[in-house]
Amino acid sequence: MADQPQVAVRRPPRFVDPVRRSILLTFAAAVLLFVIGGVIEPGFLRPANMFSVLVVASFIGFVAAGQTLVILTGGIDLSVAWVINAGGVMLTSLAAGSDLNAVWAVPAALGMGLAVGLVNGLGIVFLEVPPVVMTLGMNGIMQGLVLGLTNGFTSSSAKAYAPRVVSQVVNGSLPGGFPVDLLLWAAIAATLWVVLSRLTLGRWIYALGNNPVAAYLAGGSTRRITIIVYILAGGFSAFTGIVLAGYAGQATLGAGDPYLFASIAAVVIGGTSILGGRGHYLGTIAGAMILTVLTDVLTLMSIPEAGRSILYGLAIVAALLIYGRQPEEV
Amino acid sequence: MNAVTLTRLAARDRLRHYALRNASLLLSYLVLATMGLYYVAYAGSHGQLSVFSVTSIFNNTMPLLIAAIGQTFVVLTGGIDLSVGSIISLTNSVAAVYMRDSLGGILAWSGLILLLGGVAGAVNGILVAVGRIQPILVTLASLSIWAGVALFVLPQPGGAIPPGFTAVLAGNAWSVIPASAVTLGVLIVFWMVFRRTELAVSLYAVGDDERSARANGVPVVWAKVAAYTLSGLFSALAGLYLSAVTTSGDATTGAIYTLTSIAAVVLGGVSLFGGRGSATGSMAGAFVLTLIVNILFFANVNPLLQEFFQGLVLILAMAASVLVNLFFGRST
Repeated sequence: MADQPQVAVRRPPRFVDPVRRSILLTFAAAVLLFVIGGVIEPGFLRPANMFSVLVVASFIGFVAAGQTLVILTGGIDLSVAWVINAGGVMLTSLAAGSDLNAVWAVPAALGMGLAVGLVNGLGIVFLEVPPVVMTLGMNGIMQGLVLGLTNGFTSSSAKAYAPRVVSQVVNGSLPGGFPVDLLLWAAIAATLWVVLSRLTLGRWIYALGNNPVAAYLAGGSTRRITIIVYILAGGFSAFTGIVLAGYAGQATLGAGDPYLFASIAAVVIGGTSILGGRGHYLGTIAGAMILTVLTDVLTLMSIPEAGRSILYGLAIVAALLIYGRQPEEV
Repeated sequence: MNAVTLTRLAARDRLRHYALRNASLLLSYLVLATMGLYYVAYAGSHGQLSVFSVTSIFNNTMPLLIAAIGQTFVVLTGGIDLSVGSIISLTNSVAAVYMRDSLGGILAWSGLILLLGGVAGAVNGILVAVGRIQPILVTLASLSIWAGVALFVLPQPGGAIPPGFTAVLAGNAWSVIPASAVTLGVLIVFWMVFRRTELAVSLYAVGDDERSARANGVPVVWAKVAAYTLSGLFSALAGLYLSAVTTSGDATTGAIYTLTSIAAVVLGGVSLFGGRGSATGSMAGAFVLTLIVNILFFANVNPLLQEFFQGLVLILAMAASVLVNLFFGRST
């Protein structure tokens, strides 16, 4: 083997990589949408407004963080909507408006999300229930529990109000007007980048999504990795519920409903393959921005909700036709 | 061993094989039978068993049942249709706004609404089969699009459904037999006939192994487009039935059917990986999900817990079929 000629492997330029290309495209589209917004309404590009748009985008970004990890392994989490609702309702009911109680209500709500994720993961791994069914069933279970235990929680009751301290953190801003919420998002983005691009766990997540059998044969503890991503997804959903309750000042049932489809859409628009194994959270961030800015721009153009919903769908189709097509079977 | 014993053994083996392959389907029939008996016994002993209560169970099940049949076509090919709920909302809105109480009007609009559903489904199918985009994403997008169109048609809940239309679809024949039960019979016969068609064989083949199907000359693109078109058509039919039962229109009323139709299909033993299962199972699944609600009502359980029990039954049914195979199946 010693006399084998050294073959210089030429790596293609970085932007040719389909995942990188789709991430760049999505960010470009997000910037373009911001510019369009600025053309329609000059005030749109003021920092204060851009921050408030990004804060709304961050909510999708939080849920979609967990969704990205799950989808990268080839699964899907359909339980996000009612874990979000449960997170918000748990926070406000346990804290009952007191800042002191928030000290344990926040971890309790987060713990609930992690526990739901654990159950999802255990069911998928040990009972071999397909992810779609497991998380769909879990969504129903959480919905029934939240509605049943709170007896149809009404948003007018005192227990619906978020502790002041949570609201202050979520709505607060650093000197210079930079929202604390965006700082949280940046921290989550940085952490996920490290996990996906620098840690072994990330490598195994991609490996699992590409080919579970190969990942197992290569020595990956695929069961543990699967359970971990679902736990994280549950945690991120509950976190989103807490943040949403803080943002609005109170918890409402149904606050989480739009986030199931928004989280999947953000992941996919960001170029992550729904089959797993390809993609990155950076793309998801751009996807979350696009969904939010698109909604805002359409509102600026005074297009009613019906029209927004239609254009939202057309945007997803367009994104998919550009880079979501499967290679042709031979 | 003589030939007779061998044949008997082979027959037992086949039975065992069948039972294991269809464990989840048989389980859902078992659950359905138990729940049906419980319901009849409980309602009967409380004097609640009447033509009216039976008719209302059939009527309440029908939209989900029809949507689940539509979902079955797509799931059999290995796909999934998330746009079911929106197409139901859209057809319900169109019916509530445009349908007038005259025989001609009812027939014309029913036909148009079915056509609308079929076209919506065909668009899904073309994007999936020709556009080569993942089904879950195509139908996620069309879910959003048709929900928007439904809101355009009917911005506020309201409108009206002709009483004649309700009487035909949701009434009673000879004031005893629920019209819905007759429809159910028609649907079962339809499925038994459909199952023997070339198209049905293609659907199963595509879902089982797309590459082999293509290699063996199965028209894969056509089969997929047909599956989504049928799904759209049945969603529209479900929307018509929902309109007849609720007698009014609401542009968001169908949303729940996306996830419940998937749940019914899965409860009915149809594999989400495609190629396995039957629409009769999905129909049983739809009845299970609806009966849960009725039984909870009779058992005085907080109705708000209904989704909890539906979710629990869904997961337990799946887990049970896996466990049955684990303990009784041959290790492979």
